[in-house]
Amino acid sequence: MAALLEAYPGAQRALFRNYHIGGCSSCGFRPDETLADVCHRNGGLDPEDVMQDVRLAWEQDERMMITPREAKDLVESDRVELLDIRTREEYEAVRIEGARLLDQALMQEMLATRPKDSLLVIVDHQGSRSLDAAAYFAGHGFTNIKCLRGGIDAWSAEVDSTLPRYTLE
Amino acid sequence: MSDDLEARIQAAVQDPQNLGEMSGADAVGTVGSENCGDMLRMWVKFKDDDGRKIIDKATFQAFGCQTAIAVASVATELIRGKTPAEALALSGEELASPLGSLPPMKIHCAQLVEGALRNALAGDEPPRAALAPTLLDQIAPAKKVKIKLQP
Repeated sequence: MAALLEAYPGAQRALFRNYHIGGCSSCGFRPDETLADVCHRNGGLDPEDVMQDVRLAWEQDERMMITPREAKDLVESDRVELLDIRTREEYEAVRIEGARLLDQALMQEMLATRPKDSLLVIVDHQGSRSLDAAAYFAGHGFTNIKCLRGGIDAWSAEVDSTLPRYTLE
Repeated sequence: MSDDLEARIQAAVQDPQNLGEMSGADAVGTVGSENCGDMLRMWVKFKDDDGRKIIDKATFQAFGCQTAIAVASVATELIRGKTPAEALALSGEELASPLGSLPPMKIHCAQLVEGALRNALAGDEPPRAALAPTLLDQIAPAKKVKIKLQP
């Protein structure tokens, strides 16, 4: 599995989105397992079918991305919930108005009570981690989840220059 | 997953039984790690029943898959009135049985509950395989960061 993840960086997201594998430690896999092993202990999945989904992972990831301008239009039309996955320190320093910090309590609330077709946009700092969070929600059945391309940094650059950009040290 | 099973899981998640920490519990068991958002903890209180020690009440807290929450909800009802040995004899699938038969890909959620129960009743530590980082690991933010605002 370690080699698979290295060759296909989006593989883990594809596995969880499609098969509920690799999301948390109860459905995780070991780096030294083979894909065939993991498929076997997850209901006898066909490794070829799984590999097909892994190869399509990039396209699936792309479909989840949304530009800051597109996200702003949705925010203004009040049709979306922004979920911020950054640290509390970052959230308190700089945040998009209306965005909610995704902590464990909110995560559970979302999984338990939100309609699965709710439109959610994941916000991180620079767009590098939001796809993992989106895949986690998708693997729990959410069908309309997006990631802010470039994160809040791109939002600051393209949509709202009053939000200060920042770096992490 | 069948619509019936999905409906039963959703019903259990939206109205979980025995949710929350129990003060004065006789035993506590945990699997997973609270820090990475993937944890299930179970509290158990015993009582005497004509010289037999039986489970009076069990409660749980869970962060993780909603199926695990649903299984914990029904399992804490299922083990009420059983002796520790009787409860320990139940497999994850048996603990989940009030929900129906879980598909293979969801059985690990029941095993999470079984692990917490075993940890509480027998002190058994669930086997900890060295896992590849999970999505939750990737999502969990760094503990402390220092922010430098750009002028």
